[in-house]
Amino acid sequence: MNVDYSQEGPVVAGRLTLAQIEELVAKPMDTKPDKKYFIALSISLTALSIGAICLGLTFFYGVGLWGNNQPVGWAVDIVNFVFWVGIGHAGTLISAILFLLRQKWRTGIARFAEAMTIFAVMCAGIFPAVHTGRPWMDGYLFPYPNQHGLWVNFTSPLLWDVFAVSTYFTVSFVFWYVGLIPDFATLRDRTSSKIKKTIYSVFSLGWRHSNRHWTHYEKAYVLLAGFATPLVLSVHTIVSFDFAVSIIPGWHTTIFPPYFVAGAIFSGFAMVVTVLVFVRKIFDLQHIITLDHLEKMNKVILATGMMVGYAYAMEFFIAWYSGVSSETFVFINRALGPYAWAYWIMVSCNVIFPQFFWFKKIRRSIPIMMVIVILVNVGMWFERFVITVTSLNRDFLPSSWAYYTPTIFDLGILLGSFGLFFTLVILFTKSLPVVSISEVKAVADGAQPTHHRGEHHA
Amino acid sequence: MSQTDFHYQKKELPASLSRLGIIIFVVGTVLSLLAFFVDQERAIFNYLVTYMMIVSIGLGSLFLIGLEYIAGADWSTPIRRIPEFFAMLLPVLLVLVIPLLVFNHDLFHWAHKEAVADDKILQGKAPYLNVTFFIVRTFVFIGLWSLFYWMMVRNSRKQDETKDQTLTKKNIRLGAIFIPVFALSITFTAIDFMMSLEPHWFSTIYGVYYFAGTVVASLAAITIAVLKLKEKGYFSPWMTDDHLFSLGALMFAFINFWAYIAFSQFMLIWYADLPEETFWYLIRWEGGWVFISILLMIVHFFVPYFALLTQPSKMNPKRLKFIAIWLLFAHLLDMFWLIMPNMGSMKNGYVFSWIDLVFPIAGTGLVILVFAFAAKKANLIPIGDPKLKRGIDFHL
Amino acid sequence: MHNDKKIYGIAATFKTPDEIINAAKKVSSAGYIQYDVNTPYPVHGMDAAMKIKPSKLGFVTLVMGLAGAALALLMMYYMMSVDYPMVIGGKPFFALPAFIPVTFELTVLLATLSTVGAMIALFFRLPDNQHPLHDTAYMKSVSGDKFGLVIEASDVKFDEKSVTDFLKSLHALNTEIIYYPEEVAYPIFQPKFIMFLIAISVVVSGGTYFMLNKLVYMTPFNWMMDQDKLTPQKPSELFADGRGMRTPVEGTVAQGFIPYPYKGQTNPTEVLANPFLPTKENIALGKAKYFTYCTPCHGDFADGDSRLRGQFPNPPTLHSKRARDFSDGMIYHIITNGQNVMPSYASQITRDERWAIVNYVRVLQRAKNASDADLIDMNKEAGSNVAN
Repeated sequence: MNVDYSQEGPVVAGRLTLAQIEELVAKPMDTKPDKKYFIALSISLTALSIGAICLGLTFFYGVGLWGNNQPVGWAVDIVNFVFWVGIGHAGTLISAILFLLRQKWRTGIARFAEAMTIFAVMCAGIFPAVHTGRPWMDGYLFPYPNQHGLWVNFTSPLLWDVFAVSTYFTVSFVFWYVGLIPDFATLRDRTSSKIKKTIYSVFSLGWRHSNRHWTHYEKAYVLLAGFATPLVLSVHTIVSFDFAVSIIPGWHTTIFPPYFVAGAIFSGFAMVVTVLVFVRKIFDLQHIITLDHLEKMNKVILATGMMVGYAYAMEFFIAWYSGVSSETFVFINRALGPYAWAYWIMVSCNVIFPQFFWFKKIRRSIPIMMVIVILVNVGMWFERFVITVTSLNRDFLPSSWAYYTPTIFDLGILLGSFGLFFTLVILFTKSLPVVSISEVKAVADGAQPTHHRGEHHA
Repeated sequence: MSQTDFHYQKKELPASLSRLGIIIFVVGTVLSLLAFFVDQERAIFNYLVTYMMIVSIGLGSLFLIGLEYIAGADWSTPIRRIPEFFAMLLPVLLVLVIPLLVFNHDLFHWAHKEAVADDKILQGKAPYLNVTFFIVRTFVFIGLWSLFYWMMVRNSRKQDETKDQTLTKKNIRLGAIFIPVFALSITFTAIDFMMSLEPHWFSTIYGVYYFAGTVVASLAAITIAVLKLKEKGYFSPWMTDDHLFSLGALMFAFINFWAYIAFSQFMLIWYADLPEETFWYLIRWEGGWVFISILLMIVHFFVPYFALLTQPSKMNPKRLKFIAIWLLFAHLLDMFWLIMPNMGSMKNGYVFSWIDLVFPIAGTGLVILVFAFAAKKANLIPIGDPKLKRGIDFHL
Repeated sequence: MHNDKKIYGIAATFKTPDEIINAAKKVSSAGYIQYDVNTPYPVHGMDAAMKIKPSKLGFVTLVMGLAGAALALLMMYYMMSVDYPMVIGGKPFFALPAFIPVTFELTVLLATLSTVGAMIALFFRLPDNQHPLHDTAYMKSVSGDKFGLVIEASDVKFDEKSVTDFLKSLHALNTEIIYYPEEVAYPIFQPKFIMFLIAISVVVSGGTYFMLNKLVYMTPFNWMMDQDKLTPQKPSELFADGRGMRTPVEGTVAQGFIPYPYKGQTNPTEVLANPFLPTKENIALGKAKYFTYCTPCHGDFADGDSRLRGQFPNPPTLHSKRARDFSDGMIYHIITNGQNVMPSYASQITRDERWAIVNYVRVLQRAKNASDADLIDMNKEAGSNVAN
């Protein structure tokens, strides 16, 4: 296939008119859900309730139900936390960084990715809240002195996490809502149901599509994107600090911040592709979420996968180069020790399989793409598992070495978090526009004036 | 202005540019040679600072070219020739690197046989840190860079005549292969030439740190050249504020990225407080070095950050030019801060010497000369590039 | 039919973005000020066509961002360095690098929230669902795929007829006169609404009461409070005598503790000898301990002249004949065991310190009751002969 580089490819395929775009996006909200929808919902709700039961038992009997042991005091709970926070990075990345880079193809996927961010951060938030087994004590995370007049510890990376994740959630949510305001107004004006109209009116805040508002709105969008970009980097950086400020070999290494961020983007994009493949098929959005978009996302997955591979390689090289024996041991233990199986799952899923995306055919083939992105998700979960568990299970004292196995409750809670995530995603697809109507309209063919050069900065 | 009538007429750069380059280069070289006779160790360390600076500009430019191709960016297509000219520094490195290899004994502690014999850690590193392998690596990396430079730039220039779109496709492929090669080679170059000056110290983020500075330096050099050419009318009338904005925004982004990486490295070492890591920062926080460290934060981050923060300031040619020159100086300071404290006599504190000033002069002259030489044989705009028109019509 | 209503403005819709840009330019250059363009998405170049100045929203962001950074740093400075300073990981109280993450997060939080808040409330004056443009055919079309322009009646140049003609001359698809809606009163004090408020307040306060006063005392939330361990003042269910703290087995000796076998009014003179010579250091130690523990009763110079003098019983002087004749062991015994109302100091003063005090008491006694020989010795040392 020959590409004509002198023309920019169309963002919206199929030469849709503005009305058709609106019709396509609003359709899921105008129609009653079918049987398939309820089947999907019940599956995810089942997973959610399994997680809820496991969590309830954990609260009742305590965290002794989990597999954590000495020396593996941090295990699947933090693994799940980092995994979900990582997935939550793609949304803001797509909506903020690609916006600043003026990548128009982001419009088709931004809304969905942002929603996934919010849901993923909600899933992530569960784990720090429950990992002590006493979630009703979480109020002590706020900077409010306890009965001894003692404040929270601002030099602790775990507290930075509290601030980072809650700020990230708030800002992502605001960003998402600001993007939704014009769409709420459009929905308000096209619906005939009185109840829907009232709801949409409330959420649209009485938006009038006024150009005097659009001016500020676009400015605000730039500003928010400008803040969200460093924010998204800071969140996973701070998550990496949880590990890296310690002096445990395998955790303490300076490349952790950018390495975690690259990994987060990698896993987040993989999750977005996983879900979008279904959404575009089910809701007939192939013209708005085109194969070109998926291909571009696959390219990003390839690039970030190689960044992650670079970090693995650097860690190994410097572990040897440093001449610190405990450091060297941890890395040999990772690759050849009792958790070698996890390590090689991680390497093959994160570094080797994405290499198939060098081929254009594979980048554009839905079934192969599906397999690879799911493997990437698996690999990224195992990456956090490897980092956490293999650095701990053989610590400085050989007498206390122990093998860690997660229990059924650990895995049940993980399943529950997937249940929560997909329940929210499924509910979202039917209740809100999964694609930004106003943004996609703005990049459709013929949506912008033909000659506007030179007038802008008159 | 209309969007269709763009005709390129080759306009030579003034001969005064080459003359200026020669004068600066000759003056700088004479002073530098003098420095070698006064204090050989200090001179070779300073030579390394300027050498790394030139690597930054050349390699960063080639990286930006590759990035433009694989990202499919169009705004930078009309000015792509500027990084192409700067990237010509890469083959020149084959000559420039020779003094470093000849005087490796003055630079590298691990090159001392007697030091390695008493040092278990250095013995452990000997399979990597030994003179033979070092020289092999150096030439392989410079060879690879020159090869990619040659192939990509050849395709780009050929396109001026043939207007063949397959050449763009070829360069996209080359770019995609080049980026991983670039990532590894720049990392190991940074480790070899700078990190191994203190052979007991290690940091996994080091390659990324140098990369961040590299992009800042090359963007700054490109911005200066673009603005100078725009002033002289080479890019009129099509160049708009939006092109400048893109350059400014990229610089702004990479200043932040540099600060982020620098902070991450410092933070983790400071917090963990392991003696095998902290000593590197302690050297830079004692004697006169503490002032240079603080100056580096201000010069490399705070000043350019606030200078480029607002949208209009990223488009203002005057401010952009000032900040671009400022950033080149900042990167030079960064290299100086990385390299000089490793010199034996400087570990206890910084003492000023005129030797520190002369090498960048020679470097500046060389960069101007190479730029003028490269520009002589090529069009200043890639007239055959299919993305050119989109780039010229680029609008935010 | 709407003639009794007040006109808000006249609206026109257009089909293409080119037309609306053109129309906006014409309206702007015709001198209208109170007009607005409504488009389903931002149309490029419209700001220039309408001559709208760049948004000033960035200033809000800048100011609030800086405020966020300053507040965060101040907060952490107060909490970690002023109110409850604590050494954590050997870092300084004001550990700036460790405070940067939270500073950054709060900067972003405050900047973004206030930007969005200011945009919606101050710049847009939203929420406003009562605006005249709502629920008009015009609004419905510009919400979809048309591009609209309204010239408002508040404009000085407004005139129903001329504006309509002007808009028609711009090739508008159609024009529409927009009226202000009838004022609808929203009686806040409707019984239903009041009931609603009451219900909400009952639920919220009841729920809070339940959570804080009942729920946390239920299983398993009380497990941290009610643990299977003995707390002070609680009887033990395990032991018959109800005591949780058991007396150790006879002859048990705590680690590092040397038992003192003498009790009561005994005189262990023969077996207890001072193991320390009265060196300068030892006497200095004794003096320090004497000033801490003994002076409150016996006085600075052991005259029994402390502020307790005059109470019953009077603290005794240590310069009495009886006290001077005590052996070292006897004084040590009294400090260790106490005598009369004087309590035991065994738990406060270590053994070595007690012996040092004994030495110091001897110094005081000899100083106050010096013999002639002592004075001669002293003068010899001082090199004078005053006493002769």
